[in-house]
Amino acid sequence: MKWKKLGKIFDPTKYKLSNNCFEFAQSPQTLIFDDFVRIYFSSREKDKNGKYLSNISFIDIDKNFKKILSISNHTVIELGSLGCFDEHGIFPLNIVKDKTKILGYIGGWNRKISVSVDTSIGLAISTDSGLTFQRIGTGPVLTSSLYEPFLIGDPFVANYGNEYHMWYIYGTKWINHSLETEPQRIYKIGHATSKDGISWLKEGKQLITDKLNLDECQAHPTVICFNKIYHMLFCYRQQADFRTNRNRGYRLGYAFSKDLRNWTRDDNVVGIDVSKNDWDSNMLCYPHMFRCDGKIYLLYNGNEFGRFGFGLAVLEN
Amino acid sequence: MFKWKKLGRIFNPTDYKEKSWVQEFSQAPSVLIFDKFIRVYFSCRPLPDKNGQYVSYSAYIDLNRNNLFEIIKISKKPVLELGGQGTFDEFGTYPISVIKNGKEIWAYYGGWTRCESVPFNVAIGMAVSHDNGVTFHRLGSGPILSYDPDEPFILSGPKIRIFNGLWYLWYIAGKKWIENKGKPEPVYKIHMASSNDGINWIKQGKDLIKDKVEENECQASPDVIFYKEKYHMFFCYRYSLNYRNKEKGYRIGYAYSDDLVNWVRDDIKAGIDVSNEGWDSEMISYPHVFELDKKIYMFYLGNQVGRFGFGLAQLESYNP
Repeated sequence: MKWKKLGKIFDPTKYKLSNNCFEFAQSPQTLIFDDFVRIYFSSREKDKNGKYLSNISFIDIDKNFKKILSISNHTVIELGSLGCFDEHGIFPLNIVKDKTKILGYIGGWNRKISVSVDTSIGLAISTDSGLTFQRIGTGPVLTSSLYEPFLIGDPFVANYGNEYHMWYIYGTKWINHSLETEPQRIYKIGHATSKDGISWLKEGKQLITDKLNLDECQAHPTVICFNKIYHMLFCYRQQADFRTNRNRGYRLGYAFSKDLRNWTRDDNVVGIDVSKNDWDSNMLCYPHMFRCDGKIYLLYNGNEFGRFGFGLAVLEN
Repeated sequence: MFKWKKLGRIFNPTDYKEKSWVQEFSQAPSVLIFDKFIRVYFSCRPLPDKNGQYVSYSAYIDLNRNNLFEIIKISKKPVLELGGQGTFDEFGTYPISVIKNGKEIWAYYGGWTRCESVPFNVAIGMAVSHDNGVTFHRLGSGPILSYDPDEPFILSGPKIRIFNGLWYLWYIAGKKWIENKGKPEPVYKIHMASSNDGINWIKQGKDLIKDKVEENECQASPDVIFYKEKYHMFFCYRYSLNYRNKEKGYRIGYAYSDDLVNWVRDDIKAGIDVSNEGWDSEMISYPHVFELDKKIYMFYLGNQVGRFGFGLAQLESYNP
């Protein structure tokens, strides 16, 4: 693959955001309309204790990705209720066009005591072209299980062959690392299938082999099919000291599959890397591939996990 | 109508201070029957930590089969370690329900974790014993029954049974958290799941037992036995708030079913209530009903939800 960077297309600090959000535009996710593209992202407010809450906003942008037509000024989806899996944030909201409805798969966050968070995946539905979403229930559709004990997140759902496929991440362990003061999480990419988009069957295996080491963190898979091959981008990093250390932070990885079951990792052909000195010079993360007017694009976050927005690249070959 | 005769308290954990992990509480008794003795599992707690928070373990006592008031053994240590960092059962394994499966004993338990906005969450774990129930080991570090859109949190109180070759798990499922002036309290109801193998479960996904005292009534310990051509469920229920007293605390309720799916609640037939005085004068809860040598018994908890142990009652008569 060869990606041509088109630069940062949205900086959240330059706009007034809903829900008192003031920074971050993470995990951009698209919904394609006839004459514009809606890009959802997770932005952050601070609660009364000074802790972050991630909320969903969106921009509508023209199909040249140059002109922002509007920005949401309402609550796209409420955070979860007291004690629910998505009480403290939604990140990401993965959008799937599904016949008459628009599905939003919720990466829901809730805070814990011995470790910082847990996550599960929920489902909400929009019947107003994606302006707002309502949950199908207060609990998750994909969550912890016997061999995937916690941190079920980063949903990416697509429909292939009359079946829904979800790529997601699951936690394998929390570690105490000498470079960190708090427990750090390790997660890998998994896969589940469903007939109705609600009841999921986990495949139950790590899809993508590790490259850095056994404690490599793999996140945010995005899959697209062209030339009869399924292509996956994801991001990966070291397990500790990854926030500010350029050499240990997120990079994009690549894998391909012919059957949606067996994946071959080959980061050499990912075709995109950090820049020398720009908004994406320290890390690349949270990739999202989509088709628009015959071209394949990639949205992604750069430095500081998207604190200052997201950028775009287009596939050249 | 059941009529129970109370036989008295069997076990008081505060009599056994030498064991650090069983200082207070012996909750949710559950029985495994051997040739010479019966093993009664229960959940117990060390003293709370400096923040006043408890962890809970499960352990057992063995009672002489011919004299259930004779304790012949107390487990040397809890039967299951707490879960690892960040897992669903890091802070407690309570309550526990066991069943024989070939040469193994399988245990289902509530695993407790601590949360920030609410005090805790619970999911149901499973562990296997190869030494007649002395020690148990997890199959995996996650839960065997976890949350879904209609069961968002607090899956706990499992009771495992096999009827007609099919596995049944009765459990409680959280409905909501009530804010309660910064001290959230959960509301939970009795649910059921079934399975062919005890591992992969299909939830029935509905409230089994009608509310009685209020819409937010909390229901727990759904204990099912087949007796005289019917399925009988004994459970406990209480008010959702200010329940740590005689008026709003736990009582034992009753329902019956012909098909294990549809249940008719009829608490009057439970046939057991709080005593006028003594260790079970304020509340009774967590019933476990079992048959032993052609008699039907019930273990249950008394005041302060088992802080001072559990007692035994024997069925005197039953008229449908």
